[in-house]
Amino acid sequence: MHSLKKETQILKMKINFTNEQNVFRDEVRAWLESNVPKTPLKSLDTKEGFEQHREWEKTLNQGNWSMVTWPKEYGGRGLDLIQWLIFEEEYYRAEAPTRVNQNGVFLLGPTLMEFGTHEQKSKFLNAMATGDHIWAQGWSEPGAGSDMAAIRTTAVLEGDHYKINGQKTWSSRAAYADWTFGLFRTDLDSERHRGLSFILVPLNLPGITVRPIPQLDGEPGFAEIYFDDVKVPVENLLGGDGEGWKIAMATAGFERGLMLRSPARFQQTASKLLELYLANQDHCSPMIQAKVVEAWSQSESYALSIYHTASKMLAGGSIGSESSLGKIFWSELDHMMHQTALKILGASAELSQESKNDAAKWIKGFMFSYAGPIYAGTNEIQKNIIAERLLGLPR
Amino acid sequence: MNFIFTEEQIQFKDAIKSFLAEECAPASIRDGWQKNKSFNLERWKNLIELGVLSSNLPEEKGGLGMDQVTLALMVEEMGYAGLPEPVAEQIFLVNDVIPFLPKNVTEAVERNYNDGTQYIALAHPLAPNPLFLKDAAGLILLDNSECKFIAKEDMDFEIISSNDPSRELFKVSSMNDAISTSENFDELNSAVSSRGSLMTAALLIGLAQKMVDLSSIYVLDRTQFGKPIGSFQAVKHMLADVAVKIEFAKPAVYRAAYSLSENNPKSALHCAHAKLMCAQAAELACKNSIQAHGAMGYTWEMDLHIYMRKAWSMMACWGNEDKQQELIFKTLSSTSEELGVLYTF
Repeated sequence: MHSLKKETQILKMKINFTNEQNVFRDEVRAWLESNVPKTPLKSLDTKEGFEQHREWEKTLNQGNWSMVTWPKEYGGRGLDLIQWLIFEEEYYRAEAPTRVNQNGVFLLGPTLMEFGTHEQKSKFLNAMATGDHIWAQGWSEPGAGSDMAAIRTTAVLEGDHYKINGQKTWSSRAAYADWTFGLFRTDLDSERHRGLSFILVPLNLPGITVRPIPQLDGEPGFAEIYFDDVKVPVENLLGGDGEGWKIAMATAGFERGLMLRSPARFQQTASKLLELYLANQDHCSPMIQAKVVEAWSQSESYALSIYHTASKMLAGGSIGSESSLGKIFWSELDHMMHQTALKILGASAELSQESKNDAAKWIKGFMFSYAGPIYAGTNEIQKNIIAERLLGLPR
Repeated sequence: MNFIFTEEQIQFKDAIKSFLAEECAPASIRDGWQKNKSFNLERWKNLIELGVLSSNLPEEKGGLGMDQVTLALMVEEMGYAGLPEPVAEQIFLVNDVIPFLPKNVTEAVERNYNDGTQYIALAHPLAPNPLFLKDAAGLILLDNSECKFIAKEDMDFEIISSNDPSRELFKVSSMNDAISTSENFDELNSAVSSRGSLMTAALLIGLAQKMVDLSSIYVLDRTQFGKPIGSFQAVKHMLADVAVKIEFAKPAVYRAAYSLSENNPKSALHCAHAKLMCAQAAELACKNSIQAHGAMGYTWEMDLHIYMRKAWSMMACWGNEDKQQELIFKTLSSTSEELGVLYTF
C-alpha cells in the first residue's frame, strides 16, 4: 500500500452550467415563451385534444425542438444529454403541453437510433419529429403483462411481409395513434424470450381493430389492438428476426430512465406543492410540512442523480439495470407528492371542476400517479431486477 | 457540467478502501471492544503515514490540499469499514475548518498538531460529547457563541459509554486555561455544522452499503424451504428498497461536498439535504438488514451490528432527520423562488 502523497494533482468535478449551456437555456426559454399556447390544450386522451397536441408537435418541429439530441439529418440538433435536460427544465418551467408523441420521440426514437437501419431512421424519425406518426406502445397482451416473455401474438414471415394475428392490450395512446411498435412471436416453435421480434405496425392496416379502454380518469388513454391476418412489410422489422427481446429491453431502459422521466417534471411538481403548502400552511399540521420537505429533497436528489448519470454516459459509460432504481424512485415520489397535495386541499380534494388551489389539476395528477408504479414494468418487477442483477440474489 | 469523478478521486477512494479492508476487519474492531480501547494507535499511525489525516491540509503544511468531494468519497469508505478512529472527524471538523477558526485557536491547534498525535477532538451542541478525548491533544469547544480551545493537560474529563462500543465518548468535568473567543463565531458555527452533516452523511452511505452487502451475502447462504432465502421476493424486495434509497442519497453527498469546495452560498442547505437522504437510507438499511438476517441479526455474534450501531450514532449526531428537515424547510419557505427546477446547480 503506497502513500496517497505519491499521487499527482487533484482535478475537480464541475457541476455548474457552462456559458454555452446557459446561452442554450436562454434560447429555449425565449422560443417557448413566444410559442407555448396561452390557453391550455384539451386533454390529449380526447380526440380533439389529441389533434391539438399533434399540432403542437408540428410547432415544436418548426422550431427544430422535436428532439434536440437527435442528429441534424433526422430533424434534431445533435446536442448532448445535458442540453436535453436543460431543454426539459425549460419545457416544464414554461408549462408546455405534454408530448403526445412521447412513445415515439423518447422510446422508439432512441431505440431506432441504436438498432435501426439508415432507411428506417430517415423514414420514421422524420415522420415522428413532424408529428405525422404518433406512436402507441404494443407490449402487453391479455396473458403477458409483467411476464412479457409470455407474448403469444404471432408474426409469420410470408415472402415480403409478416402476417400478424393476436391481441395487444394496455397500448398507451393507441386510441388515436397512427403507428404502434411492439414484440411479436416470429418463431412459432419458440418459447419465452427467444423467437420474438420487434416490429413497427401502422394502425390503419386492414385487419386491425382498435378498442379504446377508458382509464381511471374516464378518458381512453390506452386501448386493445386486435390483429386479424394483418400484413406488415418485412422492412418494418427492427433489428434481426428473433432479436426482439434484447431491443425491447433497451426501449424499456429508456422508459424507466432519463429520457422519458427527466427530473424537471418532478421538481416542478415539488415546487408547486411547496407553493400550495405555503398558501395553506395555517390549517396544516407539521406532518404535512415534513412531506413537503421530502418532496423537495427527493426531487432534488433525482435531478442530481440524473445529471450524474448523464455525465457518466457522456464520458462513455452506459446504464443497464440501474434504470430500475430510478423507476421506483420517481414513481413513488410522484405519488407521495400528489397524496400530500390532496391532504393540503382538505375537503376540496374531491372537486373535479376548476376551483381554488387548482384542486382539479392535483386530483388528475393524483390519479395518474397511481399508474407510475405499474407501467414501464411494475415496481415489484423492478425490485426483482435490482435484487437479481445489482445485488446478485438468485432467481 | 461534468458531474463525474476524476481518475484521481477514484484512486484515493480505492486506496483507502483496500487499506481498510485489510486493516479494519470486523475482528479487529471487536478486538478494540474487548480491550475497551477502540482507538487503535497502530492503525491511526498507518493512516497518518498514508497521508489521510493531512490530506486536506494545505500543501505548505505538508498536506495534499484535497477537495471536499474526494474527502467525502474517502469518508464513505470509512463508513463502509466501520472505522472506529476519528479520521473523518479530524479531516472534516478540524482540518477543514481551520480557515474559519479564530487565529489564536488556530495557533493552539497547530502547536498541538505538531506534537505528532494529529488528533484534536471537537464538541458542539449537535455532538456534545467529544470522541476519544483521551487520545486527543486538545479540544475545540463550540457553544454559547464562543469557540474555546483547551489543551489536554488543562482539563479533567470522564468517559461516557456509547451504544456503539467503537465510540468512546467523553464529558469534560472541569477545565482551566482555555483560549476563548467569540470572533467570527456564526460563520465558524455554520461551517462546522455543515461539515458535521456532510461527514455523517458520507459515513452513513458507506454504512448502509455495508449492511446491504452483508445481507446479500447472508440471504444467499441461508436456506429455508430448500432454497436460499434470497430467492424469495419478500426478501429481495426489502433489500432492493434499500438499494434505491442509497442510489439517490449518494449524489446528494457529492453535490454537498462540491458546494463546500466552491463556497456555494447554499452549501448549508445542500449538506442538510445530503444528511437527510443518507439518514433515511441508513435507517431503512438497518431495519431491512436485521430483518433479512432473521434471529441471527439480533445476536451479538453477527457482524451486522458493528455497522448498525455506528449508523444509529451517525443518524443521531450532527443533526438528525428532524433537525435537517427543519433547516431545509426554513430555507425553502424563505427562498422558495430560488429553489426547484432552475436552481439545482
